Amino acid sequence: MQASRARLFKEYKEVQREKGVDPDIQLICDDSNIFKWTALIKGPSETPYEGGVFQLAFAIPEQYPLLPPQVRFLTKIFHPNVHFKTGEICLDILKNAWSPAWTLQSVCRAIIALMSHPEPDSPLNCDSGNLLRSGDVRGYRSMARMYTKLAAMPKKGAESSHTL
Amino acid sequence: MRRTLCKFFMHGACLKGDHCEFSHDWQDQANNICTFYQKGVCSYGSRCRYDHVKVSRTHSSGPSFSLSPNSHPRSSSGSHQVTHTSEVPSAREHVLDPSKSIDVSTMNLIHKLPSTSVWTSNFETVTSSNDELGDHPTYLTDSDRPICSFAAAGRCPYGQSCPRLHGDLCTICGKHCLHPFRPDEREEHIKMCQKNNKHLEALKYSQEIECSVCLDRVHSKPNPAERKFGLLSECDHPFCISCIRNWRGNSPASGMDINSALRACPICRKLSYFVIPSIIWYSTKEEKQEIVDNYKAKLKSIDCKYFDFGNGTCPFGTSCFYKHAYRDGRLEEVVLRHLDAEDGNTVIAKDIRLSDFFSGLRL
Repeated sequence: MQASRARLFKEYKEVQREKGVDPDIQLICDDSNIFKWTALIKGPSETPYEGGVFQLAFAIPEQYPLLPPQVRFLTKIFHPNVHFKTGEICLDILKNAWSPAWTLQSVCRAIIALMSHPEPDSPLNCDSGNLLRSGDVRGYRSMARMYTKLAAMPKKGAESSHTL
Repeated sequence: MRRTLCKFFMHGACLKGDHCEFSHDWQDQANNICTFYQKGVCSYGSRCRYDHVKVSRTHSSGPSFSLSPNSHPRSSSGSHQVTHTSEVPSAREHVLDPSKSIDVSTMNLIHKLPSTSVWTSNFETVTSSNDELGDHPTYLTDSDRPICSFAAAGRCPYGQSCPRLHGDLCTICGKHCLHPFRPDEREEHIKMCQKNNKHLEALKYSQEIECSVCLDRVHSKPNPAERKFGLLSECDHPFCISCIRNWRGNSPASGMDINSALRACPICRKLSYFVIPSIIWYSTKEEKQEIVDNYKAKLKSIDCKYFDFGNGTCPFGTSCFYKHAYRDGRLEEVVLRHLDAEDGNTVIAKDIRLSDFFSGLRL
């Protein structure tokens, strides 16, 4: 418990110090609980997620960094490895390939990499996975693009809720 | 009389070498009795590094050098009482044996003349005992002459008029502690100094190194016992010993596989089968090898608790790092059973069961 708190505090300081170094990631710690974090990540370019801002919720276990943080998408996203309803992410480094050398920042980077390289063979979103597996890249792209526009982009005329 | 281990030798700083009247043999017992406590008052109290025990008659033949066998047990009621013990006259009259008397008479002088400082009273004793040494045979050769410990420690207040030899400057530690006429000792001191220096450098270098698990500097952990590196046998990534052990000891129930995740380096994922604790970090392959070898040698001298002097069986068998020896000191003999198959393959057999033979039978 003490070790995880100390380590998260280190990461918090590092995030404060390196603000703006990685313009695609913004990590915010909950004001009252260091075990709850939120991240805003930019959809990578040349993907259907480009231009979107996706919100991630981190729930960090007490045994961190010996156990991985639990991460899920709060913003709806159409991606083969993200559960469409819960936002759960299927990523090996968040499960059995976790290593304590990963940080919250590097987990965000891994998720961005997953967005540009979907893995249709272990899908959490079968519809999306089937589109890709059947070779319908165009279908997948247009679906993903639609959901990005619907959920991850500021609506025209409305005030943006995300500031990045 | 070389029974008591030299205190200076213990700390690696005896300037007398072979000429020291105390033992330089680690087998000998050190005199760890606080002399100030014997006299009633030790200003260090419970923090004193020496033992606060009363030396009674039974102890008098023990390692204490300054206590003569006929000395009375001392009371702790007052320091001035000390001067009335039987030891005082003998100490002040028989100053002929400098090694024995200087120590005792200085002690008494300190208690008798509280107004004079320790420094001056010490000097007076040294010079007076040297003056009285008129009929004492002078040192035969230069190499028998001791060197001045004041000069060696930094500065000798008597300068040129000092009755003792002033040592040459050691360029490594910057002290005048090299005996001009004892080449063996000089060499030994320089060797030791170089070793200490190297260790210090390595320690300084190690201060900066961070652990990738806790993201802290290994040497700035709050608990001093945790300020140690855990070296992985197969790669060169630094971790705290506690962090890497916690990670490797993570229960497989957490979903991580022992062989692919937990035993792998958290950074490069190279598998390592053991972790070596070390205070210092290494900069070359040879240094790492030395640390590993020292660690293994240390473990090899400890009896394996699984083998239990032959009463138990060790799951690690021949690759166990601990000592497999029977009570009589005989080491375990390793017998490997080779099973040679017709096709030329050789298998090393362990714990053969009868069923193993049936499975290969063709009926």
